[in-house]
Amino acid sequence: MASQTRAALWIGRAGFLGLALVLMLLRLLPLDTLPPVWAGPDLLLAATLAWCIRRPALAPVWLVAGLQLLADMLLQRPPGLEAALVVLVTEALRRRHARLRSGGFLAEWLAAALATVAVLGGVAAVLWLTLLPPPPALLLASQAAATVLAYPLVVLAARWLFGLGFAGRPETRRIRA
Amino acid sequence: MARDRHTGEDYVRPIRRLLVGLILLVMAAVFLLWRIEDSPRVERLRAEVIDRVVPSLDWAMAPMTGIATMAANFQSYSQLHEQNRQLRRELQQMRAWREAALQLEQENAKLLDLNNVRLDPRLTYITGVVTADSGSPFRQSVLVNVGRRDGVLDGWPAMDGMGLVGRISGVGRTTSRVLLLTDTSSRIPVTIQPSGQRAILTGDNTVYPPIDFLENPDVVRPGDRVVSSGDGNMFPADLLVGQVTMSTDGRLRVRLAADYERLEFLRVLRSHEAETVSDPGKLIVPEPRELFGPPAPALEPPAETADAEPADG
Repeated sequence: MASQTRAALWIGRAGFLGLALVLMLLRLLPLDTLPPVWAGPDLLLAATLAWCIRRPALAPVWLVAGLQLLADMLLQRPPGLEAALVVLVTEALRRRHARLRSGGFLAEWLAAALATVAVLGGVAAVLWLTLLPPPPALLLASQAAATVLAYPLVVLAARWLFGLGFAGRPETRRIRA
Repeated sequence: MARDRHTGEDYVRPIRRLLVGLILLVMAAVFLLWRIEDSPRVERLRAEVIDRVVPSLDWAMAPMTGIATMAANFQSYSQLHEQNRQLRRELQQMRAWREAALQLEQENAKLLDLNNVRLDPRLTYITGVVTADSGSPFRQSVLVNVGRRDGVLDGWPAMDGMGLVGRISGVGRTTSRVLLLTDTSSRIPVTIQPSGQRAILTGDNTVYPPIDFLENPDVVRPGDRVVSSGDGNMFPADLLVGQVTMSTDGRLRVRLAADYERLEFLRVLRSHEAETVSDPGKLIVPEPRELFGPPAPALEPPAETADAEPADG
């Protein structure tokens, strides 16, 4: 029984890792080299938040940190900055895992939206503080909005593809709480 | 899992907190190092990481790129008839131009011969394939599959068939990054052709980068050719950049000659460092007369004393 759950845990982690790598790879495809007017959603961020809210065990902090650091390196972002912010935010979400589980989808979406805004706004704020040119405001706002709007779709797709429900049953939750 | 947590809660939590703190500390250190040290070391690390990771993803990228190209091709099939007619028309115009160009080439060759002009013969290039883009809407750059192995150096210009695309910024062993002219950190010295005005082309994450530091905007008209000026020894001069256009807010911008929609093959020009004139100019004075004084020393005196002597005498 224990080995079974252990295997399931590692398979789930491998699934998350694979999904994150595929999302990064999709971003790197040289399909469109024109500068965009609107920025699309940051699907990697949305997926990370969804996993950390719904199944924190499948997205352990070292995996999130490693993936985000790799993304920072590959996607030409200031190295370490967004990764650190994502780790901070996901830790906060993890702590509220039990409460979010009982709050329904709207609460979860609100939490994810706040987390997205915190990460993207935090990046802009730190860049401004360290006298680096921050990204164009319109692009940043459109990316935040698109990521928030894409979150339910990401959750839907994750449920369909990976069977990503909430961890634990309502009974156990009541006992533990 | 639930059992794990119950038994482990007491000592796992502080350790976990320590781990998270450590991760955050490392990341903050990396960011600060990148920011304070003006980033060459971290950027080199980034180039190495990309060099390791991206080529190994080639097999995964190939089918996706293939599908995307097929979709694009299918779109163009549907407009085949229209395109064909347009191409015929353009071909006719081009024939006329070709005649003119051939005549001009002959004339040019003759004139060059007459003038004994020496052109820079060392401008050769390496052609690479674009393997990835920056992956971020805020950064405009592409990755090409030539690198240190092929002798690529930072700062070399990259062109497609038509015009300047950007310059090399970051070299790995088998890959290097081309910072596009549209990136917010791209600054290129340019000359605007018929008037000869010098300016700086500053990328601002739009398709038409604006022209800055123009001395006299009145003599520049939309449609003028923009070429690299070779100022600051960054680029060889006279690489085609694009044409001047006027945006709706009245700013002068450049319509880039390179086809940014399809960057597939890029040629990286080997630009050799230009020789610079380092010593200051000397006054040209007549040789001091040898009638008075001791004979001239074997070594030539430094410039200042050479200047001073005739003033005294």
